[in-house]
Amino acid sequence: MSTNLSGKYAIVGVGQSPLGKVPELGPIGLFAVAAKNAIEDAGLKKEDVDGLITRGPDDVYCHHQRVGEALGLNVTFSTSTANGGASQTMAVAMACMAIEAGVCNTVVVGYGRDTWSRTHRNAEAKQAVASSPRTYSEFGSEFGRFGAPVNYAVSARRHMERFGTTKAQLGAIAVAFRNHARKNPHAFMKKPLTLDEYLGARLIVDPLCLFDCSVFIDGAGAVVVTSAERARDLRQPPAYVRGFGFGNRLSGWYNDDNMINTGAKEAGEAAYKMAGIGPQDVDTAQIYDCFTHMVLLQLEDYGFCAKGEGGPFVGSGALEFDGVLPTNTSGGQLSEGHIEGMLQVLEGARQVRREHTPDRQVKDCNIAFVSGHGGNTVCQSALILGREAG
Amino acid sequence: MSEYNKPLPPPTVESEPFWDGCKRHELVVPRCDACLNHWFPPTATCPKCWSTDWTWTGVSGKGKIYSFGVYHRAYHKGFADELPYALVVVELDEGPRLTTNVVGCKPDELSCDMPVEVVFDDVTEDRTLYKFKPVNDS
Ligand SMILES: [Zn+2]
Repeated sequence: MSTNLSGKYAIVGVGQSPLGKVPELGPIGLFAVAAKNAIEDAGLKKEDVDGLITRGPDDVYCHHQRVGEALGLNVTFSTSTANGGASQTMAVAMACMAIEAGVCNTVVVGYGRDTWSRTHRNAEAKQAVASSPRTYSEFGSEFGRFGAPVNYAVSARRHMERFGTTKAQLGAIAVAFRNHARKNPHAFMKKPLTLDEYLGARLIVDPLCLFDCSVFIDGAGAVVVTSAERARDLRQPPAYVRGFGFGNRLSGWYNDDNMINTGAKEAGEAAYKMAGIGPQDVDTAQIYDCFTHMVLLQLEDYGFCAKGEGGPFVGSGALEFDGVLPTNTSGGQLSEGHIEGMLQVLEGARQVRREHTPDRQVKDCNIAFVSGHGGNTVCQSALILGREAG
Repeated sequence: MSEYNKPLPPPTVESEPFWDGCKRHELVVPRCDACLNHWFPPTATCPKCWSTDWTWTGVSGKGKIYSFGVYHRAYHKGFADELPYALVVVELDEGPRLTTNVVGCKPDELSCDMPVEVVFDDVTEDRTLYKFKPVNDS
């Protein structure tokens, strides 16, 4: 037995904190500001909230409890998720499931962290950056394996050698998102970026260069999820949750062909099936972009092009605002700022609400596809938002 | 002799026999007694069939490069003098993949599917690392 939840729930409010360099706020404070803005945007009050699903810096124990304390909330359902960057899109789906199960009615979902300030707030923080990593894991750090970029570098290298994907094609992703960020007043990186500048940038872990990597900022985003029935009486046009799905290849990024064929395939198939649509029906995509290459892999696995054809697809200008699939229209994590996919949930909702100025608003936007990715690279979550319930 | 300044995380209860093998210049990985699957890193059950009966087994040490990434930024001071250096994923002929370094070869000479074989590097009195070198076809 299965119940199709498509169109039964909706994002009814979106909110964000100041983004960029916000040293005066910590991660919980940033989250609280975003949550307050999301609730106000929905036209709801604190008393209406009876669910809370959060994530923040992964070292914060019982994160939802800390956020709830800051907001003075008592709820009937709350938890913190641990699927890395796949958590935030998943949390919107979890909110729908929790409401469907009858354990709560109106859920705040969000993410916040102070990633810029953590390493720049004061002399002590700066020193922490300059010194060596604090934790080492065997079978890797002995050989110089540190940081996230290498996971995507090895995947990109394999993809390049197998399918002929080029650096310039990865660059097209970075350039497209920068072009979008330039129109977003809240984006962190608004300096023009050309393909030549991209190709001349310093390498981090080859084949990935500086502009292949997302930008670390301070900030938070939050959304409010409730029933479609309730949504109709609220202030904003609802962004209906039309579909969701997950694919977590827990057997490991470095095993089988998981770094080329990702769990996004299962996640996307489930989400499209639930929504009763296919990739050709998507008007805008908000794809989790910790690194350019991860966008390319997901575009293939989510069916926007065939496996191996991601390079030519992005190289054709498909992701630009006037391309066939305007993608990461607020600048994405590569240029707006890395808030673990949360800002892309907001942007998907804003696009189907059609609230942007014409230079940023995807015309006649009915369907926004939002993806999350993370949890040590193997977790994928897909979310389909619609202007109409069905 | 200058002190070895790269990380050497201590072996765990599950990995100690593997590192002991390296010290003897033997590459050993878990092999399932039930389904003959080789796997890495070591865990208490065969990830393929969940059998708990398995044996540390010597492997050929031959394999090929699955992929690699070349560091142009040092995340640890011990590697600062080696930039650019490659972190390499090697697939053993028996199946398991190991992250490692390839010696005797510059990063720009590496390619996916290049044949390699294990070599052992006694980096300290107590510790030996598994590394790989290109196999010459001639
Ligand atoms: Zn087995």
